[in-house]
Amino acid sequence: MHELSMADAMIKTVIEVAEKNDAQEITEVSIELGEMTLLNPEQLKFMIEVLSEDTLLEGAEIIIETIPLEIKCQSCGYSGKTSSDELDHYAPIINCPECESMELEIITGRECNVKSIKIEKSDENAQDS
Amino acid sequence: MHKIAEVEIQHDIMLANKRLAKKNQKILNKEKVFAIDVLGAIGSGKTSLIENLINEMDHQIGVIAGDVISKFDAGRFKQHNVPVVGLNTGKECHLDAHLVEHAFSDLPLDEIDILFIENVGNLICPVDFDLGSHIRMVVISVSEGDDTVEKHPLIFKDADLVVINKVDIAEAVGADQEKMVSDVHSLNPEVKVIKTSLKTGQGLQDIIASIESFIKEEQI
Repeated sequence: MHELSMADAMIKTVIEVAEKNDAQEITEVSIELGEMTLLNPEQLKFMIEVLSEDTLLEGAEIIIETIPLEIKCQSCGYSGKTSSDELDHYAPIINCPECESMELEIITGRECNVKSIKIEKSDENAQDS
Repeated sequence: MHKIAEVEIQHDIMLANKRLAKKNQKILNKEKVFAIDVLGAIGSGKTSLIENLINEMDHQIGVIAGDVISKFDAGRFKQHNVPVVGLNTGKECHLDAHLVEHAFSDLPLDEIDILFIENVGNLICPVDFDLGSHIRMVVISVSEGDDTVEKHPLIFKDADLVVINKVDIAEAVGADQEKMVSDVHSLNPEVKVIKTSLKTGQGLQDIIASIESFIKEEQI
């Protein structure tokens, strides 16, 4: 539901970095989104596209990579991936695949990370990536 | 000629909020304020519960009233003669650590023992946003239906205290209150669940005792 504020914060970050790097255009944005965040990737992408109009970001390809849930079980010590309840992707019920305990520490799956951008810049300012 | 360059950013929006939340908790600890993030659905009784706690608890209380338009709840708290800041979220469905930090500057933190931060009525979005509070109290009511816990599991996983309110009308609305308690415990086995009715006063003293024990644990 709060995709709008997330999109807005991401765009601010992206444009700030692009301007610092003398970008003339942003062609691609890579975002990592944890499986456990209550964010819908499609809605987030749509919001970014709408808010990007008339900015350096307009028309850029938005790539959203889902980061799977990894947990550490407090009961049996299992550490690694687990599957969330597929019935309801946006409110997953999770437990340990080894002992079914629900006392877990979430290691990955809560990211909402602007990973990198691809920008177009004039030749004299360009750096090798 | 143009050249394509790739620029690493690695800026996590959630982490940025978490960092601010940690900063908020430092401010609260320095001022010896115990903060409770009060979450729950619209109409579950968050505001009424805080009003009751203001009247019953033997502490200096302050309130941050967060809402899409906050003046209504803020007005109710002001009648109890406690310091109140209304936070309008406008279009947003949740409070975040940045908004709460702003509210701190409008509160006499040095005079407050317990700060209630009433979040926007919503069982989904506030889950993602730590505010820097010491505990999260989730308030639901039987009139939302006895499947409300199953439908919103994440908010209960992170809760420190769960209140099931309006149990006096459970029968009238056909809600099984024991099912709601066991649904919470299946998601969060250790959490304290208190059944309340603010009409009859049931459970209010249990909530107060529970908050007092959290305060002792935190040594604030």
